[in-house]
Parts: sequence; C-alpha cells; structure tokens
Amino acid sequence: MLRRTLVRLFGAGGLGALLPAPRAAAAPVDPLLALATAVLPASLGGARIESVVAAFRNWLRGYRPGADQGHGYGHVRLASAPPTPAEGHAAQLAALDTAAKSLGSASFAALPATQQKTLIADALRAAKVDRLPERPDGRHVAADLLAFFFRSSEANDLAYRAEIGRESCRGLPGSEARPAALRADALRVGQTAAPRVHSGS
Amino acid sequence: MARHQCDVLIVGGGISAALLAERLAELKPGLAITVVEAGRKHFDFENRMEYRRRMLEYGENPWPGDFVKDQAAAGIISRSMAVGGSALHWGGVTNRFSEEDLTLFSRYGLAVDWPIAWSELERFYCEAERRMGVSGEPSPIPDDRRSEPYPMPAMPLTHNLIQLKAWAEKSGIPFGSTPQAKNTVEYDGRAVCKRCNTCEICPTGARYSPDFTFQRLLEQKKITLQDRTLVRRLALHDTNTKVVRAEAVHGERPSDPITYEARSFVLASGYCWSPSLLLLSANARFPDGLANRSGNVGRYMNGHSFLSAQIEIDAEIYPGMNEQHSLISRQFFRSPKDKPYVRHDLRVWQSPFGRGPRLFDDAGALLLGDALLGDWRGRVKRGAARVRAYYDVHPSRESRLTLDPSQKNRHGDPLPRVAHRFDDATLAREPATRGRIRGVFERLAQNGAGKILQSAESDYLDHPAGGCRMGGDPATSVCDSFGRTHDHENLFVVGSPTLPTGGCTNGTLTFAALTLRSAPAVAASLG
Repeated sequence: MLRRTLVRLFGAGGLGALLPAPRAAAAPVDPLLALATAVLPASLGGARIESVVAAFRNWLRGYRPGADQGHGYGHVRLASAPPTPAEGHAAQLAALDTAAKSLGSASFAALPATQQKTLIADALRAAKVDRLPERPDGRHVAADLLAFFFRSSEANDLAYRAEIGRESCRGLPGSEARPAALRADALRVGQTAAPRVHSGS
Repeated sequence: MARHQCDVLIVGGGISAALLAERLAELKPGLAITVVEAGRKHFDFENRMEYRRRMLEYGENPWPGDFVKDQAAAGIISRSMAVGGSALHWGGVTNRFSEEDLTLFSRYGLAVDWPIAWSELERFYCEAERRMGVSGEPSPIPDDRRSEPYPMPAMPLTHNLIQLKAWAEKSGIPFGSTPQAKNTVEYDGRAVCKRCNTCEICPTGARYSPDFTFQRLLEQKKITLQDRTLVRRLALHDTNTKVVRAEAVHGERPSDPITYEARSFVLASGYCWSPSLLLLSANARFPDGLANRSGNVGRYMNGHSFLSAQIEIDAEIYPGMNEQHSLISRQFFRSPKDKPYVRHDLRVWQSPFGRGPRLFDDAGALLLGDALLGDWRGRVKRGAARVRAYYDVHPSRESRLTLDPSQKNRHGDPLPRVAHRFDDATLAREPATRGRIRGVFERLAQNGAGKILQSAESDYLDHPAGGCRMGGDPATSVCDSFGRTHDHENLFVVGSPTLPTGGCTNGTLTFAALTLRSAPAVAASLG
C-alpha cells in the first residue's frame, strides 16, 4: 500500500530509493534508512530509527500539496502548501550514494560515519540549508528527516528528558507538577502508523 | 433577485454578532433575526481534532478556507472571514480594560472620554464573562475590583508558570493567571480544558467560540444564518433617513443579488468591514457614506502598540506544558498623575526561545545524531520567559480607513485600506513610553541572573478597533454609546468599531461587553 502510494505520488522512475526494499530482495540497504542511521541519534537504537523512518514516510504520504496554510496574523498573506518535499528526495539519496562510490565505497551506507557526515555537510551546503527547517521543505532529504524528528514533541521530551507531551491533550490535573522524568521506552515517534498521536481525542 | 424579510439584520458573523443575536432573542422572543456572514461556517466540530493534527504536522490552516479570497484590505491584521470571525483563531484571553480607559480626557487631558460610566460597563463585562464562560482569579490590585466573581476558577498555573511567577514577582510586581474564555470546569454544555496546547483550534470545545452560540440559536430556531453572503450596500428609505434594505450577493451566485429588508440593521463586522460598508453605501443624500455627516466614519482607527522581550533566566522551564496560558500584571494600567503618562499591561509566558534544536553549532560545525541532541540538551539547562507589554496609544483623526479605488473585489467594490496614525501627544511621549517599559523588562531580567536575549517592538496595532467611534456629540462621533448611529435611527454599529481608544490590553471582552450593552437599545428600536 505504502509502496503503491509513493509510486503514485512521485512517479515510478528513479524514486524506488525512497521505498523500503522488498523483503525478498538480496538485502539491498534501504537508502533512506541508511541516511537516518547517519543523521538520527544512534542512542535511539536501530528499531526506533526504523520506526522514525516509517513515520517519516507516512508523513510524506499524508502531505497535501496546495493545502490551505492559513493567512497569518499581524502581517497577513494567504499561503498554500508547496509541492511535496519528497519530490527531490530520491535524487538526493542517489547523489549521496554516487558521492560515496566516488570515494571507493560500495554505497553511502557502507561509508564510515565521519565520511558520511562530510558528504551530508556538502549536500546541505549545496542545498543552501543553513538551519534546521521548521518542517520538511524538500531542500534536502537529510534536513527533512532531521526536521521531522527533532521538531517533534517526542524529541522535545527527549531533549528535556521529561514527559512534557507538548502536542498531547493532557487535562488540567497535574498541570502544576514538574513533568515526570522520561522513561527509557517513552519515545513514540514512529511507533504508530501516524506520528505524533494525541491522547484525548 | 432573492428577497428576505426580518426584524433585525445583523451584518457579520463574529463574536459580537453571536452575543447580540443571543441577547436579542432573549429580550424579544420570536424576533426574526437574520445574520449574514460573508465567509463560510465551520460547524464540523467532529473534525477539529483532525484539523488540529494537520495543523501541527503540516502547518495547515486549522480553519480551512476561513477567508474570502478577493475580500482583502490593506493594513488589516487578520484575513479571517467566517462564521465565528477572528474569534475562531482566538487565544481566549479576556482581560478587562480599566476605568482610566474611559476617562482619559478628564483624568489626563488625553484623547477623549468614552460616553459610558465604568460602573455601567463593568456590569456588561460580567455578563460577557458569564455568556462566554471565563475562568479567572481576582486581581491583587484593589482598583481592579469586580462586582461579581469570575464564572469559573482560574486556569491552574503550570509548573512553568509557577516558576515564572516566583521569578517575576521578585521584582515587586504582582502577577496572576490571565483570565480566559476557557473552561476549568464543565460549563454551558462544553468540556473542561484538556490542555491541548493549541487554543487557536480548541479540539474539545473548552475554549469559547462564537460558532457554538450560533449553532445553539439555529437549533432553537431563533435565528436565520446565511453564510457566504456579502452585504455590499445599505439603502435608505426614499424620504427619510432610515435604512430599509441591505443589498447582498452570495459567493457562489454572484449574478443573483439578494435583498434583505429589516426594521433595524446592525453592523457587527468589526473595525474594518463595518466602516467600509458605511462608506460603500454612499448615496446622493449621504455622499460621504451612511452615518457620516460628521465625516468621522473610518477615522480614529485605533489599537495598541507593544514591546516584547525574550529573557533567559535561572528556572526549570519545560516548553510545551500550556504555551498559550500566561501570567498577567495589571500593575501598570494606571498612570500616576504626577508622572509622565504611561499605561501598559504586562504578560509573561514560558518560552522555547534559543532552546530549540539546531543544525550547526556556534562554530558553524554540522551537528547530527547524538551530537545534535547533546547540543540541544546543553542549551536547555536555563529557562526562558517571553514578556510583552501592550501600551496605550491614541489615534489622531487622520488614523483612517479609506476605500482604495485601485483595489476592488470581484464585484467591483473598492476595498478598504487602514493606515494608523497617532495623535501629537502619543507621538511626543513615545520614546519615554518605550523607555519606561524597557525599564520594566530590565527590572524583571535582573531577577534570577536574567539576561535579555532579544527585544522587539510592534509594527502594527494589535486588537484593532475604531472607525465608528461612539460619543455624545454627533459632530465628533458616528454613534451614541449604544452604537446607534447619529444619522440613522434604525442603524447600529456594535463591537470594536465603536471604541474611541484601544486600551492597553486585549480587546475582545470589551468588544463583547459593549455589544451586550447595545442589545436592549437595538431591541427597543423595534418598538
């Protein structure tokens, strides 16, 4: 379903790199997962990184180009959502792989971490990414993945090591208490079909 | 051409219209009340959690399509045009003005007095608070006394606000929980706040929204509501000055005009579209627009300026607990007569300023993975507060809304342009005002080894109002204190346009209170 949807969204040509590799294949590395492994905290662990990647794909699938983005307050302007950030992702992932091969590596995934970081830095510079985007904007898949994760409520909890639950509906009782310390298993990004699930709905 | 008849036609579908319609239906049961709104209605409450999710995840408008594309104006601060009006996006803050706002001229020789006694307005503040459902706590300032308690207990302070209150009050300035139209107990059939942190779209209904009132009135068959219908002109009786009809057009049937005939007409379209409609309705007998013999329609446009700062402090702050709730101090609502005139409110919020994740460190090195997380963690050890002061500025007569013939909607009507101008006294004291407020910010920052990280000043007026100011003298005002226009006995303007001055705190409750005060006069106009 996900694969079919992404193919429909992005066209079939050259975008297979965004899709998870078929299970029956001879274990080629999922390039998006390889990138995620390079840019997301290793302390999350492999399973969580995989679930963040799945949630990111889910987010891309739910993106609606042209959606009403409101009109602002103070200085008004009508805005609508630009084309899907995913448009350039496959090419960007392929470019990282090509760059890795030019260094004699079999793939980006096979590069040592320091060299991966160098390639990512070069790519971000070329894409004129000078800060973490507020949300994925398509300039570069690495920045989009980072924004997707680090701008989440769950990453906010991780940074503060506390169960703040910025985007949850939590009720008024207990407002006055310091948020509880973050449990080791509390990270929720990607653990459900839709990321950032809100309680109280 | 479609033709509708009613007793009262209310033009506009925002908070003033909702409260007025509700009150009129009580005062005169059986009254035929029609509300006409240019924008669409958003009555799909069941979808609000999903709209909220889309807003959080994709930045989409939580009130999709709450504007009319070609119905824009230069100088406005919100394009929201829908049933519910700007209050759809409202944060729910329901601060009162103070008695000084109504007596600026007699106390300080500034601007103009309002034609209402404070004690009378205060009664309608109470009524507005009851109808909307306001939670709050008594102000520690004796001059802020109330004749009735708040309908609900105050929104509890979060851990963050408790820390910030302790910090801010070290300066000797008292702070309290900002009053809000949000339920802290079940109220009026609506749920208790669940602290969803997205008050611009409250998915639980705990924050008052005018669409709840409209839906209830519709269910009770007390009003007729016609959305997506733009009133373009008001027309007068051939031989007297009464308004006899409103000429409108439906957004999807622009070639099929609609006429509304009523005994009384009420403009409840806010500070921009109410004066605009009066100007658009110019005719041979009123060549400068209806209700405009004095030439004051579209003048004295007002609001309040503001200064803000981000202050780093030694406090354990966890951004995201309830970001839209704040502390307020009313310490500076009153200006001692023996000191230069300055009046302002003072609010404090939790802030994530300077504490977000970043991609490059101070040396410009790329941060990824655990290095990025570690950098972030290293920068959240100190907390941050956002402080803001709305301060009192007074309009000159040249603070205007005019019709711009170069900008027209699809019907060929010129669109308004708002350009605020201050009076001479405001301009003269502006540097001192800003200096005094910045001094208050610095006084706050001195607590807890605070450090001002960033300061900002307004380049627009917030909570804009005016354009049809009320007054006792028809030569210097557009309407009386009940909103009845001096020139047309059955034409009223309610809410924000009637304010002579914009105060120094959020205006919504004042707009609502004034509207409720107008309701009996509108009812009486029907005989």
